[in-house]
Amino acid sequence: MSRPETRQWQPEPEAAPPDLAALLSQVARGDHRAFELVYAELSGPVYGVVRQVLRDPAQSEEVAQEVLLDIWRTASRFDPDRGSAAAWALTIAHRRAVDRIRSENACSRREQKAAEPEPAEDDVVETVAATLEYQRVHRCMDGLTGLQRESITLAYYSGYSYPQVAQLLGVALGTVKTRIRDGLIRMRDCMGVTW
Amino acid sequence: MRDDLHVLTGGYVLDAISDAEREEFERHLQHCPTCETEVRGLRETAARLALACAVTPPARMERRVLAAAYQTRQLPPLSADRPRRAHPRRRALPRHLTLPPRRARPGRALPRRLAVLAAAASVAAAVALGITQLSAQHQLDQARATAIARVVTAPDAHVETARSSAGGNVTVVTSAALREAVVSTSGMASLPSSRVYQVWVLSPSGARSAGLMHGSSLLAAVRPGDRIGITVEPAGGTARPTTTPVAILPV
Repeated sequence: MSRPETRQWQPEPEAAPPDLAALLSQVARGDHRAFELVYAELSGPVYGVVRQVLRDPAQSEEVAQEVLLDIWRTASRFDPDRGSAAAWALTIAHRRAVDRIRSENACSRREQKAAEPEPAEDDVVETVAATLEYQRVHRCMDGLTGLQRESITLAYYSGYSYPQVAQLLGVALGTVKTRIRDGLIRMRDCMGVTW
Repeated sequence: MRDDLHVLTGGYVLDAISDAEREEFERHLQHCPTCETEVRGLRETAARLALACAVTPPARMERRVLAAAYQTRQLPPLSADRPRRAHPRRRALPRHLTLPPRRARPGRALPRRLAVLAAAASVAAAVALGITQLSAQHQLDQARATAIARVVTAPDAHVETARSSAGGNVTVVTSAALREAVVSTSGMASLPSSRVYQVWVLSPSGARSAGLMHGSSLLAAVRPGDRIGITVEPAGGTARPTTTPVAILPV
């Protein structure tokens, strides 16, 4: 692949970063175009986190669709004073995924799914999507203690509850609670989250 | 602040607590500004964990979601007992979602006229290519042709050209105002009937298919910072790129 040869047709206006919060307020007013842009921005992270928790691609697709539809439906409830738009949306996504596994006693199914080989994920998409944030998160994960890292990973990426995490790691419930909080605080500071 | 509840901030944002604990904690949150501040920071942190595992969903999902959304009634805003600020703070996107402003290359002042001329020629070529191939292949209807013409003749049309590793050139004309782009290729190697060139819009959240390459492709909802990629895929195309792109261009 050769370097792209850039030619400027006209001076480029100062490109403002897309403002998801502003887009969401347009979505709340029923703006289809704004919703398409929100979809373009959030469908990857929403589908990614749901799939991380549920594993099963078909079920993940179904839940991710519900989440994105929820974003359309409840856009008026997003309050930019209380957090970023991405965090608002991804909170809905993670919660939905966790609700799904907890509501249908999906343990056996998940174990069965886990035994199946994962589809190959060596394509461009993962690379494009993963690079920046993936590296930043994993660099900060490396700064955690083993117990902090495992607790956070099991709780967030696998959707396990406190008691399940405690059982899997063979530690007391109280230990899991403090490790998750301490680890997240360390992650927050490492990634420079300013909320 | 109750220590036994405060420690739940982490499990709360990771959805690791039980429903009963959640209810109790949310009641507590209303009277604990310290906890609320911590929850916000940790919730943003959890969001980064999600962003780190972004995966492009199947292309069919977008059609379904958009179609469903436009038939779904939206919730009204909550009542104004919690008045919003007159000028809500504008939030920048998390860093990973923003892209550095494109910088003009140094030393461009002199060749600028030439560049503009070349770009104009390139636009003309793109139009010609688009329209002729379009009529020859009957791939696009008249409305589409008009849409393509509108992009390449837009006052803010911006042209990028790159050589493709499959030979030939790829040209992308983008109008930021219209949020549309036109991709056209020339001289790329012809493929066996089992293979097609597929166009993708690459953004930080992943790759979105823009369909198969037929002469010129019109891409909607592109944004500054997106990139256009072309890959070789099995006939009919795929939901996600499976090969290394033969060309990637910024819009």
